[in-house]
Parts: sequence; C-alpha cells; structure tokens
Amino acid sequence: MVMKHFKRLHNGLKKSISSIAEAIFRKKKRIKIGIYGPVNSGKTTLANRICMDWLGEEMGKASPVPHETREVTMKENVIIKQGGKSLTFNLIDTPGIATKIDFEDFIRFGIKKRLAKQRAKEATKGVIEAIKWLDNMDMVIVVVDSTKDPLTQVNITILGNLDARKTPFVIVGNKTDMKSSNMEAIKNAFPNYRIVGISAKEGINIESLYSALLKML
Amino acid sequence: MNLKIKFVPYEKFKKNGGRLLKDIQENTILLIDAKISSEEEAYVIEETMRKVSDRFSGVEMSSLEMGSKAANVLGMIRNALIERILGKKRGITIIGPAKVVRKIKKNPEDLLLYM
Repeated sequence: MVMKHFKRLHNGLKKSISSIAEAIFRKKKRIKIGIYGPVNSGKTTLANRICMDWLGEEMGKASPVPHETREVTMKENVIIKQGGKSLTFNLIDTPGIATKIDFEDFIRFGIKKRLAKQRAKEATKGVIEAIKWLDNMDMVIVVVDSTKDPLTQVNITILGNLDARKTPFVIVGNKTDMKSSNMEAIKNAFPNYRIVGISAKEGINIESLYSALLKML
Repeated sequence: MNLKIKFVPYEKFKKNGGRLLKDIQENTILLIDAKISSEEEAYVIEETMRKVSDRFSGVEMSSLEMGSKAANVLGMIRNALIERILGKKRGITIIGPAKVVRKIKKNPEDLLLYM
C-alpha cells in the first residue's frame, strides 16, 4: 500500500518534469485520451466511431462476447475539429474492467473450453494493464451502459480513481438507441459529473461528446 | 460448502490486503470496518485478477460510506476531523468470492448481498 503512494508521487513528479522539459525544448507532447468502462459497455465501438469519423479507419474488433478487447491499444494523431477549435491526441482503447472473469461465460457464447480458459487468462492481464495505464491518461472517456444500473462497483472505482488523480473525464451513457436506455439513472447516480448520452453503434449525439472533449481542453 | 465471514479491521487490510485475498479464495466473505479508498479498490481488482483461475473467478465487492452527507459546513468539518483522527473513512466494505456472492446491490444507505 505504501508503495502505491510512492508510485503515485513518482508519477506526479515524472509528469511535472515532462511538462518542464516540454516547455524548455518546445517538444509537442500528444495528449492521451483513454476510453475506460466496464465490460461490454461499448468502448471499442466508440473508439471505432471516433476513428472512422476522423481517420477513416476502425481501431479494433467489437463484439457481444465479453472481453473482446484484452489489450490496451492506441491510435495516434487523432484530430477532432469543431467550431473553429481542434484537438490532437492519441486515443487509447482499454479492456473492460471487471472484478470477476469466469471462463464458463465464454463457453456460453460457443467458445471451446480450452480457448475459453485462454481468453479468461488474457482478459485478467488486460484488466491489470488497463488499471496501470490510468496513470498515463491526460483525459478519460468513461463509457457506461445506459441500459444497466450505473451504480456498480466497477464504475465507482473507475470514477474514484480518476477523481483521486485529478484526471479530467466525461461520462458517456452509451446505447441510447436501446428502449431500455435510462440516462436519468446515470445523471442521478453521478450528479456532479459531466455526462453525455450517445449511441456509439448508431452514431447518435457523438457531436456532443466531441464538444465536451474540446471544452475540457 | 464451508462459508465463513471474517471481520477485518481496516488497519489489517492496509497491511495485509493481498494476503487476505487468500481467505476469499477459500470461501470467506471479508467485512472491513471502513470504506476503502478508490485506489485500494483498484488494488483489490488488480490482485484479484492475478489470482483468477479455473476454480476462482474473482470477487464481488462493495462499500458504503457513513456520515458523508453532512447537513452543513460544520457537519462536514466534523466528519473530516473524525476521519482524520481515525485514519480511515467511516463505513463498511464487503468483499466476497464471486462464486458465492452472486451480487451486491448498493442502495443509497445499505448493501444487500445476494448469495
């Protein structure tokens, strides 16, 4: 636990030294925007939407099978432009954070037992990697499934860690195209935070997310 | 199945967090006498992921903070002072094996365990 505090102090010092070096040598540092959230909330779908909008190509494979994304992946030099403002950043898609991973859940999707166990093992490493990468993010998009109860431990843990690191973030309530979508539940659960409702799959209200990101600059 | 409930002082959790997960792997539900911090929650998730296996799929975890909704500034200062003296956030944290604890539902002022 003590090591964790030292690690955070070390990371803080590292960020400060990096900013000073950047100022002295005028080296342009790309800001990193991470996409975080629980499993199957639509993170990769959103990452693909952003990359298609501004780069013309997708970033990763999205699927209804949990833990499809099992590694942190980065797309460099994404430039979003709106109302005369622009933001250039590296977009980082992360594995869904979970407190449990059961290989039997993958078998239910038709994956063979041996591959299911391998997938579970990769998924656990992905979660660990995603948590470690929190220290590297300049801004975060937290993707929450608007058809599910937002007051889950995973959502609370992610937001709490971003608060503790003073990392600016926006909460995205995804899947607003679904009948069971309930944005009010998200707003009631997290009343003090910036929240945008979107459908990453259908491309609904994505412009509002871009506005929010530009405002956070 | 031999299910156990273990009451753990926050100080012991701070000192031995990783080792306490071994108890959870052996069908023990931990009740910690404080609301653990978000960084500590992330630590629990990380350590849980390292221990996930064919027989242990992970944990269900939830915490409740007490005395956080102070009516006025004086109340807020009082709560902050109490937490400073105690060295921990007042509340409770439950961590249990996912194969035993199906779900923990968090209502505003209580936690409900579904086994």
